[in-house]
Amino acid sequence: MVFIFGVNFNEQKLVKKALESFYALGPQTSARILAKYCIHPRAKMGTLPPKTLTALTAELSTMTIEGDARRIVQDNIKRLRDMGTYRGRRHAMGLPARGQRTKNQVETAKKLNRVERRG
Amino acid sequence: MQPTRCLLKRSVWKGPHIVPLPIVRPEPGKRVAPIRTQARSATILPNFVGLKFQVHNGKVYHDVTITEEMVGHKLGEFSPTRKTFIWNRK
Repeated sequence: MVFIFGVNFNEQKLVKKALESFYALGPQTSARILAKYCIHPRAKMGTLPPKTLTALTAELSTMTIEGDARRIVQDNIKRLRDMGTYRGRRHAMGLPARGQRTKNQVETAKKLNRVERRG
Repeated sequence: MQPTRCLLKRSVWKGPHIVPLPIVRPEPGKRVAPIRTQARSATILPNFVGLKFQVHNGKVYHDVTITEEMVGHKLGEFSPTRKTFIWNRK
């Protein structure tokens, strides 16, 4: 088991996929981090030396990921809600905010469009 | 990096959608009637802050007081056009 940023990863897991498991860290950013620390794109967690692991943790702690990124999204929705905009009202109702139809297929909006958005 | 989504809504060279509105600067000590308008697509400019508008929604005029964070949005966003459906049991 390997620790990065307080999270336990399996040694067989790809480093790229492990990085992408953090919220607000996608394929592009993870590829950039791998290039910065000279890690092979298909390297596994078990092959990383401890020095790189601490460097990766230090790198991640400087980025806005996980809770900070979620808070940014929630603050944006809350701002719309407090202003009384149409988009804010639609978020509060859990319905699509950009004019999509609501007869069928509103599952994504129901899941995501909330004032206290989780994902 | 991309520009913000706010900029991507409309080409920068076009500028904001400016509608000539009858804006009267409130003189101190005087109350000014709210500005009644049907221009829902008018962008809220920084000099609107503190003014009162009555924005048409197709049926009635909704009172909107412009605050600082509303700058950049459209007037129509603050005047809902749809009535929520309520089952009317008799």
